[in-house]
Amino acid sequence: MLVDALDHLVRGIVGHPDDVQVRSKPLRRGTLLEVRVHPEDLGRVIGRSGRTATALRTVVKALADGRPVRVDVVDVDRGR
Amino acid sequence: MSDTDVTGRSEGMDEDPTEAVETPADSMTAVDDDAVSDPEAGPVGAEEEFSDDEEGSEDDEDGDEADDETASESSARRPRRVPSLKRLEEEGEVAADYLEELLDITDLDGDIDIDVENGRASVAVVAEEENNRDLNRLVGSRGEVLEALQELTRLAVQARTGERSRLMLDVAGFRAARRRALEVVAAKACEEVVTGGTPVRLDPMSAFERKVVHDVVAGAGLRSESEGEEPSRRVVVFPVSQ
Repeated sequence: MLVDALDHLVRGIVGHPDDVQVRSKPLRRGTLLEVRVHPEDLGRVIGRSGRTATALRTVVKALADGRPVRVDVVDVDRGR
Repeated sequence: MSDTDVTGRSEGMDEDPTEAVETPADSMTAVDDDAVSDPEAGPVGAEEEFSDDEEGSEDDEDGDEADDETASESSARRPRRVPSLKRLEEEGEVAADYLEELLDITDLDGDIDIDVENGRASVAVVAEEENNRDLNRLVGSRGEVLEALQELTRLAVQARTGERSRLMLDVAGFRAARRRALEVVAAKACEEVVTGGTPVRLDPMSAFERKVVHDVVAGAGLRSESEGEEPSRRVVVFPVSQ
């Protein structure tokens, strides 16, 4: 559910919704959600001073209802 | 900040004599603000205890948004281009789609009301059943989740329309209730300023909250300004300068 929710939240705010990918990876404690977007959308998903990324984290954490969850926006050019 | 009561003001009225002289001579006090305290408060429902809010308000710095301008600034110096009704309705619909699907995915029950108020689209997610408190998850204990969701919803609108949105989002009546509480605080502050003749400084508030206060103050024929930096930015109410 969290993956779908985050996927939806990100898709809605980018210019290339079809290029959005959210993957869930188990962490030792909790879950990591990795967000990948079209390089042109990276700025949009992160936002001024990380404001948008913070908003995404805030909403996802609220939806996780106490389960530990981390949200990372992956820079596709560099990471992978 | 350790204020336990955000609704009260935190400082004495005359502890800062510099404030009193600061009132510019040319400031017009009878401001015809475009958004005088609107009693139109939207849906009701949350019995949140609004005991604090400061720490949660870092995300409302809103440099892009004139929410927080004093009434005189917004009406006299920087007239805001109000989007057409059609545009605002479209904003509301895009926002409703975005939120509707989120509710779907997350299995949260809620109805979505769309409206246009004061030149903005206004979208409210309300509980289908009175006692259903699930939606409070989308508000957060201090409204921080609501602010985040509003931010994302505005961006979703912007992604579709290509233009910045100043849409207001409410969930479970949180803002509506907060607004009513703040209107009381603001009215009290105005009274104090009128009787005491010195400025009154209120507790730190979010941009939305400061806007509510500025509107009440303007409606009372007084002048207010915001001072300080987020998250401790606060409203100061000034007496009429003559």
